Amino acid sequence: MIDNLILGFQTALTFENIVWCFIGVLMGTIIGLMPGLGSTTGVAILIPLTLTLEPVTALIMLAGIYYGAQYGGTITSVLISTPGEAASVVTTLDGYQMARKGRAGSALAISAIGSFVAAIISLALLMALAPPLADLALNFGPVENLAIMILGLVIVVSFAGGSLKRGLMMASLGLLISTVGVATGFSQARFTFGNVDMLGGIPFVEVMIGLFAVGEVLYQIRIGAAAPIRTRFKDMVITKSELKRSAAPIFRGSGIGFLLGILPGAGSTLASFMAYGIEKRVSKNRGEFGRGAIEGVAAPEAANNAAANANFVPTLALGIPGGGTTAVLLGAFTIYGLQPGPLLFETQPALVWGLLVSFFIGNVLLLVLNLPLAPVFAQMLRIPYGYLYPIILLTSFIGAYSVSNNMFSVVLVLIFGLIGYVMKELDLPVAPLVLGLVLGPLFEKALVQTSALGQGSFSIILESPISVVILIAAVFFAFGPALLGRVAKRLTAKKAEEALTK
Amino acid sequence: MESVRLKVAGIAFTAVLAAVGIAAVIGGLMYGVFAEDGLIGPGFLPVMSGGLVALFAISDIISRLLARKHPVDERELLLDDESAAELEAEAKVPDIDIFGRSQKQRNKQLIAVIGILIATVALVEVLGFILAFGIMLVVTAVLVERRKLLPSILVAVIALGVAYLVFGVLLRVPLPQGLFGMF
Repeated sequence: MIDNLILGFQTALTFENIVWCFIGVLMGTIIGLMPGLGSTTGVAILIPLTLTLEPVTALIMLAGIYYGAQYGGTITSVLISTPGEAASVVTTLDGYQMARKGRAGSALAISAIGSFVAAIISLALLMALAPPLADLALNFGPVENLAIMILGLVIVVSFAGGSLKRGLMMASLGLLISTVGVATGFSQARFTFGNVDMLGGIPFVEVMIGLFAVGEVLYQIRIGAAAPIRTRFKDMVITKSELKRSAAPIFRGSGIGFLLGILPGAGSTLASFMAYGIEKRVSKNRGEFGRGAIEGVAAPEAANNAAANANFVPTLALGIPGGGTTAVLLGAFTIYGLQPGPLLFETQPALVWGLLVSFFIGNVLLLVLNLPLAPVFAQMLRIPYGYLYPIILLTSFIGAYSVSNNMFSVVLVLIFGLIGYVMKELDLPVAPLVLGLVLGPLFEKALVQTSALGQGSFSIILESPISVVILIAAVFFAFGPALLGRVAKRLTAKKAEEALTK
Repeated sequence: MESVRLKVAGIAFTAVLAAVGIAAVIGGLMYGVFAEDGLIGPGFLPVMSGGLVALFAISDIISRLLARKHPVDERELLLDDESAAELEAEAKVPDIDIFGRSQKQRNKQLIAVIGILIATVALVEVLGFILAFGIMLVVTAVLVERRKLLPSILVAVIALGVAYLVFGVLLRVPLPQGLFGMF
């Protein structure tokens, strides 16, 4: 462990990597606070810029965007009640109310401090948990890998929010899109309709830029914008009592965030909602919730940051992304010629540990940047969206073109941009589609290997105890939440009935 | 009215997905689901995923037809009624935004931007990438967003200059130059 940490520091503390880490967290903060841009969009748009960098440097920068955006997303939640990130939605409840009472600075400061503490706690846990999990996963064969991928898809679907069948539909659609082109192991071109550009498959960077960046911009144009609340440097001073009130919520939020973030697909959004819900129940100041309670900002902000880091546990150890952004990052790994998964810890220790250590450095940079400079970042909200979104569109299209220097990429971005807009409008979850698309080729490979091992029969999957346990977990995640919800509803109804009779 | 339109659009989109799924199953069957030795063939995953898309899409169409209320976001179940109501109230799309535009006007803007994007992509091969997107930036800012011409041109020149420097010069991306050999 110590050797690995030293290796990580040696890798992350080079001048080049620190500079790119700084650029990543700075851009992440800006991306997070821009309406219509989130960490997933930001990472997807900026992947083309990193193609000439060393893989470790590129991943340090992209990961910086990811957790930087968690900080930036809070600024818009507090100042304009518009979360830059889905994970900051719940922060609008108390953060915006604090801002309306002239305590925007305290809300931003506590979210930066809470995020930082949560990041450090979760990183320590990530470093402790990911390697043993990867060791365990090294014993997995194609059968267990197939079961893990089924579990990953099911969890992403069940936590994506909204209807389960819509999530499953989108995950299946992602798998279907991944079958376009010539698959490894087969010589047959599928669904290419004679188009040579499609022989290599539908490239996911273009799909992600379209779905997330262009789709989101179109959606923002339709829903319009809210006026920002101004904040000043002197408002940033946080009082001792506010710090004291926030300490326990930050620790509780970090714990909840890490536990939920570690599940593939659960993600930081759910963590922030759960942390807020629990805090509201246990807090001494629960009466203030919804009217500007600092605990209502500290807990969800700590939770979403802890979950963002915990998302890397399944991503790095199992090769199963924890959420939308880690799915894009997983795609970036393959672009740089790396195979994410348990072998990564053995074959690329400098990269993995350098990346993990860079999270520490990035979070320190973010705290230093965000505590004094949040009001400065907030000024960016004053750039008229009418100028901003055409620039986001330009960046999306030019970025997509640069991936393969081909107009086909530009057309794909346009098509998937329109699809992304329709999906957002119709409340269809995007994350399962992305995961299906990224996992598709690996899933098909595992299917081929499993059918070969079972000589044409898939019953072999039930012969491995590990895969049976994983599949039982998948069934639980698919139907458990709905069943538990129904039981809880019945119990509540029964209690209400009893209260009425009394 | 809006929710009825959304419902119809939802059913239409899901019906398209169902059709795509069925087409994929037919295509997959033609590629061969299983090889001669009993192992899976190139058509297995298309049949499986296409079948699932069609199955869930048809099931979703039925639920959309039967649904009366707006579906509840499961995340809101984690909050109590008061917080969920506050969140819902804040999430409601305002009819008039800070620029004083109504929903109808914003819908028109959306259609205009989509039209401009399609035209821009079509014009790249003719005018070149930078020039086509330059026109897109100015037209969107001036005609759609009603911004002043000079600042719009200035913003477009700066944005394109930075984009050209980063992608054209630093990353040496050969951007399409169009029929006239311009940027």
